[in-house]
Amino acid sequence: MPDRVSDKRERILVVDDSEMNRSILADMLSDKFDVTEVENGEVALQLLAKEAHSFSLMLLDIVMPIKDGFDVLTEMNRTGLIEDLPVIMVSAETASAQIERAYELGATDFIMRPFDASIVYRRVLNTISLYAKQRKLMSVIEQQIAEKEQNNSLMVDILSHIVEFRNGESGLHILHVRTITDFLLRKLIKKTTRYSIAEEDIPVISLASALHDIGKIGIDDKILNKPGRLTPEEFAVMKSHSMIGASMLNSLSMYKDDPLVKHAYEICRWHHERWDGKGYPDGLKGDEIPIAAQIVALADVYDALTSERVYKPAFPKERARDMILHGECGEFNPLLLECFADEFDNICAIFTGNISRNIAQNDIRQIAKAALRSQGVTASERTLKLLDYERMKYNFYAQLTDEIQFEYNVENDLLRLNPVGANKLGVDTEIIAPASSAKLKAQLGEGWFEGMKKVLRRTKPDSPEFSRECQLLLGGERRWYKVIMRLIWAEEIEPTISSVIGKVVDVNTTHVAISELKEKSIRDPLTGLLNREGVNEAIEHKFDTFPERRFAVAVLDVDDFKSANDIYGHMFGDKVLQELSERLLHSTRVHDLCARIGGDEFLIVFDYSPEYDIHSIVARVHHSLCGRVDDFDLSVSMGIVEMTSKAQKFPSLFKKADAALYVSKNGGKGSYTFYDDTMKGASPRK
Amino acid sequence: MTLQQCYQALGGDYDDVLGRLRSERLVQKFVLKFLDDGSYRLLLDSIAAGDAQEAFRAAHTIKGMCQNLSFTLLANSVSELTDCLRKGSLEGHEQYLPKVQEDYEKTVAAIKEFASSNL
Repeated sequence: MPDRVSDKRERILVVDDSEMNRSILADMLSDKFDVTEVENGEVALQLLAKEAHSFSLMLLDIVMPIKDGFDVLTEMNRTGLIEDLPVIMVSAETASAQIERAYELGATDFIMRPFDASIVYRRVLNTISLYAKQRKLMSVIEQQIAEKEQNNSLMVDILSHIVEFRNGESGLHILHVRTITDFLLRKLIKKTTRYSIAEEDIPVISLASALHDIGKIGIDDKILNKPGRLTPEEFAVMKSHSMIGASMLNSLSMYKDDPLVKHAYEICRWHHERWDGKGYPDGLKGDEIPIAAQIVALADVYDALTSERVYKPAFPKERARDMILHGECGEFNPLLLECFADEFDNICAIFTGNISRNIAQNDIRQIAKAALRSQGVTASERTLKLLDYERMKYNFYAQLTDEIQFEYNVENDLLRLNPVGANKLGVDTEIIAPASSAKLKAQLGEGWFEGMKKVLRRTKPDSPEFSRECQLLLGGERRWYKVIMRLIWAEEIEPTISSVIGKVVDVNTTHVAISELKEKSIRDPLTGLLNREGVNEAIEHKFDTFPERRFAVAVLDVDDFKSANDIYGHMFGDKVLQELSERLLHSTRVHDLCARIGGDEFLIVFDYSPEYDIHSIVARVHHSLCGRVDDFDLSVSMGIVEMTSKAQKFPSLFKKADAALYVSKNGGKGSYTFYDDTMKGASPRK
Repeated sequence: MTLQQCYQALGGDYDDVLGRLRSERLVQKFVLKFLDDGSYRLLLDSIAAGDAQEAFRAAHTIKGMCQNLSFTLLANSVSELTDCLRKGSLEGHEQYLPKVQEDYEKTVAAIKEFASSNL
């Protein structure tokens, strides 16, 4: 049923002297509501006095014996109940003056007799829903206000206690000032209307009074806690706390119009002003000083007098009172002094009683103490802020990057990864004892940790950085990565590694690109064989790497290649060269090197074990190179030199092979010749 | 005698009352209740005792009931009496009371006949 206001049945009070009229109304409403009937205004008021809040609505007749409808409304206005309980008038009265009067007395609605069942039901329901909504809203708002005030109060308490503890005070000063302020304010608004202070301003001003010394946060510890009287210079610094506090509050631009902040500003800035203009910082006079500041000034002075300070004992209460009343601590508003004298006994009574009215006070003090303890022990606030800033920066970049970033703490044996890295490796962001992590082993290989340790052992404090490219199997794909690490050394007599930070950058694309380029640069594009540069490098490498093996270098060219080009065209020439390359690759073995070193000139480096005969190898290869390519009868001339000593370098070997080739050519094409010393200088070439 | 015939006999508006109260059962219930109401007795006694205020309230109550039950005939005559008594004195009530008495008797007679024929 959409009309239902709530699951609980609402209760309606029907007040009518006619039993039949009540009965009709009850019948109309009892389906949806609980109806209570009474026969006149007197009984109604008696019932309401006991259980007004159990009713959601009253239907009220006007003309009744003993007390009529207007009497009921008047009484409800007196008690304020009319605000909470909606009243619908039911009457045969049609005189507009009567109706008007009922509305003026707070009736919500008017139902004329004769009753129409659906109209009665509908009006009752509407009124109840409206009030239910209002009640709900009210309770929400009340709760929010209560919460807000509680939060405010908590923050103010914490703040002011921080000041107190820094100030080396007991923590009671704030409470005392606040209590005295409260007493004086209440007394003052009874005495005069000169100051526009409303009842509800009092808690706000009292709360704000707790902040009167927050400016002391900005005063040097040495002055603040100096054991003994301050020098004039130091006192001048101390005096600046009122302006510091004021500007702190002034910088809260967002809350400038908040009553708490406004009052706190006045109090901070002017709680050292005096009635005669002899105070500081602005030398305001009389009521130029906001009343809140005047009151806190007095409260502050009284509590200072009655408390022990490093430079003075605590004065007895009465002595302190008299000192204030006689102007020994500066002039105060005479009216305020009157209030103070009047309230003196009450103030004393409060302070001799259990001072911690509020258990929460204690907790707040603990929080404040803890805040102070943690501050300034190892790192200054500035350092912490910087650290915080760096962390933020680091986290920001760590999120953006595609790199794996890591930090290994040696002492704790703890490896930390950035989320991206952890994700790539498929591990947690924090790994204890990474050396034994199966997941990491699976990703990085069995001996990765030992390998890293080996590398780390080689580094020294003066060259703490290290980088290497390697292939890693990450996410099931083997790619090239560059690992960059930096060691952090603990500064001890014997430097030890305290942690390792670093990152792993995916360089696969670059790596592949570079190796592809490199590959291109050493290969002959037509045949895919090594070119001159490529074979030079490869030979040097081969000679260095396999000193136990034997080598022979052969240089060959195609006989009458020029005529093949001339007769059949360059395309065919290329085809011949490609065919020859194929035959070279097929006839030589894996470890042999084949290269095209000029137009139709090729080079072979035979790499063979000593037990083989190079002559037979060459014979076989030469034989397989020759043979028809289409109509062209491909024949090859070859000159070969054996490397007889490790001291022989490739250029000289090449020269000798070339000389042998020259001999071959001259001795008839399609043959091969091994070099011997008789051929020295035989080569006609450069 | 039906309820509708009863209304005809007492000079009431049956359609009107049914329209407002929505059920014949309810109308019948309240019509029968009218017989038990003491307001008419109170009206006569108060006038006899010279209590104008109480007489006004009693007349007012009867007026309200008649309006609720759409007893048009009696509602009209008692309404005139109520207005007469509102000023706080019995002065002039003689002009209206006989008509009220006549209509009231007529109304009660009709209801009684209806009641007896439906019991």
